Amino acid sequence: MTLEPTSIMPLDDVRVIDLTHRTAGPFGTRILGDYGADVIKIERPETGDPTRSMPPFYKDEPGLERSGLFMFLNTNKRSMTLDLKSERGREIVKELVKGAQIVVESFSPGTMDAIGLGYEDLKKINPKLVMTSVSNYGQDGPYRDYIGIELNLYAMGGSMTSSGDVDNEPLKTAGRMVSYHAGYAAALASALGLFQVEFRDADGDYMDVSIFETAMHSIDMRLGRLMGYQYTGHIGTRPGRAVAVGGGVHPCSDGFFLMTGGPRFIPNIIRMIGMEELLEQPEWGTAEGRANPDRIDEFLAHIIPWTLERTKEEVRAACEEFAVLGGPLNTIEDLVNNPQFVARNYFQEIDHPTTGPIKYPGYHNRMHREGVDFPKRRRPPLLGEHTDEVLSEIGLSADAIAALRKDGVV
Amino acid sequence: MAADNSGVNSLGSPNPGNPTQPDPSLPLAGLRIIDFTVVFAGPYGTMQLADWGAEVIRVESTTHFASTTRGMLARPALATVQAQTGMGMGMPDSEPGERPWNRSAVFNAHGRNKLGMTVNLRTEEGQEALERLVAVSDGLVENNLPQSMERQGITWERLSKINPKLIMIRMPAFGLDGPYKGYRTWGNHMEAISGHPLIRTYSDLSPEYAPAGVPSDAASGIGSALAFLMGKRYLKRTGKGLLIEAPTAENFVPLLGEFIMDYSMNGRVWTQMGNNHFYLAPHNVYRTQGEDQWVTIACWNEEQWQALCERMRRPELADDPRFCDNESRFKNKAELDAIIGEWVADKHASWVLDQLQIVGVPSGAVINERDAIEDRHLEHRGFFKRMTHPEAGTHKTPMTPFKSMNNPGVGPRRHSPRLGEDNEYVYKQVLGYSDEEYAEFDKKGHIGMDFDPSIP
Repeated sequence: MTLEPTSIMPLDDVRVIDLTHRTAGPFGTRILGDYGADVIKIERPETGDPTRSMPPFYKDEPGLERSGLFMFLNTNKRSMTLDLKSERGREIVKELVKGAQIVVESFSPGTMDAIGLGYEDLKKINPKLVMTSVSNYGQDGPYRDYIGIELNLYAMGGSMTSSGDVDNEPLKTAGRMVSYHAGYAAALASALGLFQVEFRDADGDYMDVSIFETAMHSIDMRLGRLMGYQYTGHIGTRPGRAVAVGGGVHPCSDGFFLMTGGPRFIPNIIRMIGMEELLEQPEWGTAEGRANPDRIDEFLAHIIPWTLERTKEEVRAACEEFAVLGGPLNTIEDLVNNPQFVARNYFQEIDHPTTGPIKYPGYHNRMHREGVDFPKRRRPPLLGEHTDEVLSEIGLSADAIAALRKDGVV
Repeated sequence: MAADNSGVNSLGSPNPGNPTQPDPSLPLAGLRIIDFTVVFAGPYGTMQLADWGAEVIRVESTTHFASTTRGMLARPALATVQAQTGMGMGMPDSEPGERPWNRSAVFNAHGRNKLGMTVNLRTEEGQEALERLVAVSDGLVENNLPQSMERQGITWERLSKINPKLIMIRMPAFGLDGPYKGYRTWGNHMEAISGHPLIRTYSDLSPEYAPAGVPSDAASGIGSALAFLMGKRYLKRTGKGLLIEAPTAENFVPLLGEFIMDYSMNGRVWTQMGNNHFYLAPHNVYRTQGEDQWVTIACWNEEQWQALCERMRRPELADDPRFCDNESRFKNKAELDAIIGEWVADKHASWVLDQLQIVGVPSGAVINERDAIEDRHLEHRGFFKRMTHPEAGTHKTPMTPFKSMNNPGVGPRRHSPRLGEDNEYVYKQVLGYSDEEYAEFDKKGHIGMDFDPSIP
C-alpha cells in the first residue's frame, strides 16, 4: 500500500479544541487526530501539559521536549500555549470554539463552569458544539471530587478484585490502561455527538465520561461479572494459578507460556503433546472427566515436561497447529520485534528534534482504501509550536500576538 | 428481491416491528448492523451501537456453537455450571435450565438491545438470506479468525459488490494479514504476546502467577464502534463504503504506550512491576479488615504524603530521612508499605477511603461485585437499570459507559436475544421473505431456538 497524505480522512474537516491534560483525555484526542481531525492542544504557558515533565525521558534526562509519555499521547496535534486564568486567554478559547466542532476537556468537575467555559457558556457561542468532559468519577455524585491516580481508579472500577493470584494481593494493570480506556471512550462519545449534529441535524451535545464508570462497565468484562454475581451470588475472587484443567502459565526453556485448558481444549492439548493414548481413558475422553478440577495437577505433570523442552515460540507454533489457545509471556522487546507486528509495519517511526526517528505504537485501526493507507502521523508538537499559527488563523495580527506574549497570556 | 436494495437503511425511522423498540430519536436509530461477533470484544462494540439506537442483528446458527459466547458448552452438566462462576460465565442460580445458551451472564450482559436470528450459511438459501441482509444494512461487524469468515463467504470483495455503501468492521486478533493471520487466540493470549502480563505480574513471585485479566477486549470494542462512525462519515463525504480493520492486538498495544516509548528511547524493558509505580511511593494496595478487603493508597506530592502521615497520627514520618521525599520513600518502600499496611489492617476499607479523601490523599477501595451493585455513587449516577430476561430473571445491568445530555436514560431496552428469538421479524420484515418462504427456511433447519442435539 502506498501513502497518499492528500486522500480523505474521516475527520479531516473537523477541528477539536483540546483542553485535556495528563493521560486519559490526551489519549482520546490523539485518536481523533489519527482519524484526521485538526486537534489544537491548549497548554499552560511555560510548563505545558504535566506529562511533559513525566518519565520516561529520552536518555533519562528530564526536559519539556523529552518525555516519551507526552510524545506518545500527543501525535497529530498542534500545540498552543494559553493562560486560562486570564480573561484574554478565555476569550481566545471562545474565539476558537466558534470554528470548532468538538471540545474535549479533563479539568476537575466544575472548573470549566467556574472560569466561564462550561458547556452552557460555549453552546451560546456555538450551538452545534459537542463538548466531552473526562473526569475520574463524572460530573456529579458523592465521589465527584475524590482524588485518585490510575491505581485507585482501577481498584474502584472493580476489576482489581479478580486480578492476580488467590493467595496474594490484587494487582493493577500495567501503566495507565484504565485512564487510556476512558480516553478511548471519550473519542467514541465525541464522535457520537458529532454524528447527531451532522446526520440527525440535532443540536450539539454534552458528554460526561467517567474513568470509574468506563472501568466498571467494560474493563475485563466487568459487566458480565456484575451480572454473574447477581445470577450466582458468587463474588469474583482471584483465580488460582490454573483456572481449569490444563490451563495456566507454564514454564518453557526460555520463559513462560499462558495456555487455556478446560474440557473443550484438553483433547487438542493432548494431541499437541503427543499423548493421544490418554484420550482412550474415561477421565480424559469425556467432557465431564476433563472438567474435574481435582485433576489439575495430574494434567500439569503431563504438560510441563513438554513445555520445558521447548522455547515459548515453539510452544506457540504448536498451539497454532493444534488449535490450542495460548500465547507466550512476551517482553516489550519481544513485542516490538514480533514477526506479526513487523510484517504489518505496525510500529511507526516518527522523527522528532530531540530523539530523531524512533518507534511509536501504530494506528489502532486501518482503513482499507484501494492504494491508500493512513497518512503518516505528525510528530508530537513542541510546547507552543503552533501558537502564532493558530492565533493568526483566528485573525490576530502579529502585533496582537506579540502583546499577548508580552503579557504572559500565551 | 422484495427488500429495499438501495444499500443504505438511510437513518429513517427504525422498522416499526423491531422487537427491541429503539426510540426513533436515538442518535443511531434507523441504522442496521449485521453482527457476527463472538465472546466479548466484538459484542462489546456492537452493544455500543445497539444502545445508541442501531438495529443490531446477531447472526447465529443452530448448528454451530461458538464456545464462551453463550457459555462454555451448549449443554453443560449441572456440576460444570456450578463450577463456572468466574469470568461472567455463571448462570442464574447456577443451574443450566432448559436452554443454557440463553442463561450465560456475560452474554446476557452485552447482548441487550440486539436482535437474534439463526441461519445456516453452509447452504445456498442461507447465503441468499445473507446477501439480502447485506443489501439492506449499513454495517457489518465481526471478530473471528479471518479464514473462518472467508470460508463462509463473508469477504469485503463479495459484500461490497452487493452493497457498495457498506461499512465493514473486521476485528481479527492480529490482523487480516501477516504470519499470525491463522493463529486463534482470546484476549488474554493476545495480551500475553503484547507484553502485558509479564509487566503487571508480581515482583516477588514467579511469572507462573501472572494474572490473565482482559482489558484488551474493552478497548477494541470501543474502537470498533468508533470505527463504524468514522466509516459512516467517510461514506457521507466520499459516497463510498469502507472496510476498516480493527485488530484486537493493535487496539491494545497502544495501552502500553509508555513502555514502548521507554524501550524505543532508552532500550529499557519493564517486567514484573506488580503494584509499583514507575517512580512514586507510596503506591500500593493494603489489606484491611474483612474477607479479601483491600484499599489502594498513593501520593504524588509532599502535601499528600504529609496529610497521610497526619491522618495515620504519625506526623514524625514526614521528617523521617527514610521518607522525607519521594526519592527516599521509593527507595524504602518496603518499610513504608509495612507502616501503612499496619495502620489500615484493623480498619474497614471504606472507612480508610472516606478518611483519606477528606484530607486529600489519593485512595480507592478494591470494590467487588456486591459493593458495586450497592455503590452510592453509581446509584446517584443512575449507572444501573433493572432488566428482565424471560429465561434468566430480573437483574441490574449497566447503562452506557458515558452519558449524553441530549439522550438521558439510554441503556438497556430489551433483554439479550435468546437464540433465534427474532427470526420471524428478521426474515419477514427485514429480508422480505413471505410466510411460505419462511416456512421453507424452517423446514430446512435454519430457524430454531435450540442448538442441534448433536452439539454437546
